[in-house]
Amino acid sequence: MQQATQTGKEIFSLINTIDAISPDCSLEDVAAFFTHPQYSKLLSLPVVEEGRPVGMISRYRFMDIYLKRYARELHGKRPIRKFINGKPLLVELDQPLAVAARHVLANMQFPLTEDFIVTQGGRYLGVGFVMDLLHAMEQQMRANTMELEQANSQLKSSQLALVQSEKMASLGQMVAGIAHEINTPLGYVQNNVAIGQELFQQVQSMIAGYEALVDDLLDEQATEAQIAAQMQQIAERRADVNVQEMLGEMQGLMEDSLYGIAQISELVLNLKNFSRMDAAATEAVNLNECIESALNIGRTVLKDRVEVIKELGDIPKISCAPSQLNQVFLNLFTNAAQAMEGLGKLHIKTWSSESAVHISVADNGKGIPEEILTRIFDPFFTTKPVGEGTGLGLAITHQIIQKHGGEIHVDSRVGEGTCFHIKLPVVTSILMHQPAASEAAT
Amino acid sequence: MSKPTLLLIDDEERILRSLRMLFFSGYKVHMTTDPQEAIRILREERVHVIVSDQRMPLMQGSELLSLAREASPATMRILLTGYSDLDASIASVNEGEVFRYLMKPWDAEEVKKVVAEAAAIAEASFAVQMHTDISVDTASARSRVLIMDHDESTARTVHETLGDRCEIIWASDAQHAMEELAKQDVSVVVSDLMLGETNVGYILKTIKQLNPQTQCIVVTSFNDTSRLIELINQAQITRFLPKPVSKNLLARNLESMLERFHAVRNQPALQNRQAVAPISDPKEKIQAGNFLGMLGRLRARMGA
Repeated sequence: MQQATQTGKEIFSLINTIDAISPDCSLEDVAAFFTHPQYSKLLSLPVVEEGRPVGMISRYRFMDIYLKRYARELHGKRPIRKFINGKPLLVELDQPLAVAARHVLANMQFPLTEDFIVTQGGRYLGVGFVMDLLHAMEQQMRANTMELEQANSQLKSSQLALVQSEKMASLGQMVAGIAHEINTPLGYVQNNVAIGQELFQQVQSMIAGYEALVDDLLDEQATEAQIAAQMQQIAERRADVNVQEMLGEMQGLMEDSLYGIAQISELVLNLKNFSRMDAAATEAVNLNECIESALNIGRTVLKDRVEVIKELGDIPKISCAPSQLNQVFLNLFTNAAQAMEGLGKLHIKTWSSESAVHISVADNGKGIPEEILTRIFDPFFTTKPVGEGTGLGLAITHQIIQKHGGEIHVDSRVGEGTCFHIKLPVVTSILMHQPAASEAAT
Repeated sequence: MSKPTLLLIDDEERILRSLRMLFFSGYKVHMTTDPQEAIRILREERVHVIVSDQRMPLMQGSELLSLAREASPATMRILLTGYSDLDASIASVNEGEVFRYLMKPWDAEEVKKVVAEAAAIAEASFAVQMHTDISVDTASARSRVLIMDHDESTARTVHETLGDRCEIIWASDAQHAMEELAKQDVSVVVSDLMLGETNVGYILKTIKQLNPQTQCIVVTSFNDTSRLIELINQAQITRFLPKPVSKNLLARNLESMLERFHAVRNQPALQNRQAVAPISDPKEKIQAGNFLGMLGRLRARMGA
């Protein structure tokens, strides 16, 4: 319905309300009409009988007849009915613009001698100009193109948003893990400080007691009874709390607290390092550092049950976006952890060949079935339940490696485990950073 | 009374040392990083309160607490965790049946208060036999079950399971629930967290304040961990079943919660085991206050 009224409007705007002529009009009258200002713009006059269009008479045809010798005398009084084109171009009001245009284009004659008639339910409404119709059509197409362009740019930005949301999803998981990691030391540090505060007050009042006793002892005026009372008070306090023992314990708690604070600082530093660089910034980085950084961040996912075996070789620095590669490694590590039910082993290896740096990440998890192995890098492909994985993790990984001019391959056996192998070029990556290097290479 | 015994389990020794110091003077404190050791202690000694971490490499805290429930049912169970994940909190209700779910970092005074409360409750329930034979005459007073859920399948399952033994009320809104509660306390509540537009958390909390014997089963598709933790502490819900819930599971839990209700009713000393913490949300506090006030007036009018 919406569509129909919308298209009805399109045709409606093309209508020129013109008084139609009757088929019984004489040629003489029609000649007068053609010179009338009301009809001056028209190529042809609509002929309507009982509200329904029966034909068109064009200027071209009319002249052809009427300018012949004796035509006025011969035909002047005759009705126009005999001379009209009985099959005029008809357009229904609620036709879509495109359909109307197609119909008109297919049936119009060259040279253009007639306008078209707009009808509603077969009844005459007015006359439309072909040029107007084509013009409207062109405008619509331009609008369509713009819409397409808009849709295209929207798609592009929603893809960006998706990539971002994948980042946020993995970040969210990570943050929850790190929050736990921080909450543990924060828990005992805070508690220890609270205990220390209480102990401090007890020690304070204890010292006050001792000082009062010393004062009494030094005071020649003090009586035996006074001193005895003071001593009694101290004895009671001592029976109440064993300050020596408490202080001894507190010493340990202080050490624990410092340890906890160091741990929190380390976690915060890791987080900072991890997200420090802009996504696009490139710098010369040793990938072993990225791997360590990702392991630190992913520790919460791994630590409980995954044994990490590192064989990090002596590899040259490569120019890359470290935060992106951090993301790649973290993604591979967490995937591996998720693939391992119960205890598992994560084997991380780096080495270099002539012009490339290699990284392999292998787990002994459940493996990837062969039929889906080719699809794991596809965007939105996921085996996780709805809402848990975006299906973008490996797609983004793939994209990042490609952007760095590298390759990523996977090898997997069900029940045995999965190994990802990444190869990143040393030279090409440097090239994008230092154009002058090509000269040095020759 | 001699000092109550406290058992602390965490995989981080520094947490244990810190907590031990907090309870140094008033308690006999055992601590371990090993869940098996914890179970052994529970079997050999009368432990008033067990405080466990959730995320540990050898065993999840909720699982340990569920084992503790078997080994020493009278011991009060508290979870102390820095990791709020939904599965863990659901397990801590359904399996661990925890008295409190506390978060790290904790407030020293609050933890002290909660443990002291738990220790006193445990002391009282040691005197009572926990597993009483429930052949008691459940018919003496007809039990009432209140359903607060627009989901018809929930109501149907309740009817099919307990229809022959209980009076079943299906409340369509908060007002209706209140009118029914005004008439008489209920034995078991089966509730979603949302009733139409109303968040019924405050009603559950109020019901439990009104009558600690009432057992609350929550069936819901809402998965909000922090709200669940609030309901554990402030409404002592006894079961949390995520929707869609299978008929059998709901039926089984209805039976056991009805049984629990009778057990608690026959042993009033046990009802404090489900004592609730004060409502923390200021808006809910007002809602609960209004609800209680109106309920009181309704009851007075009915009694008159």
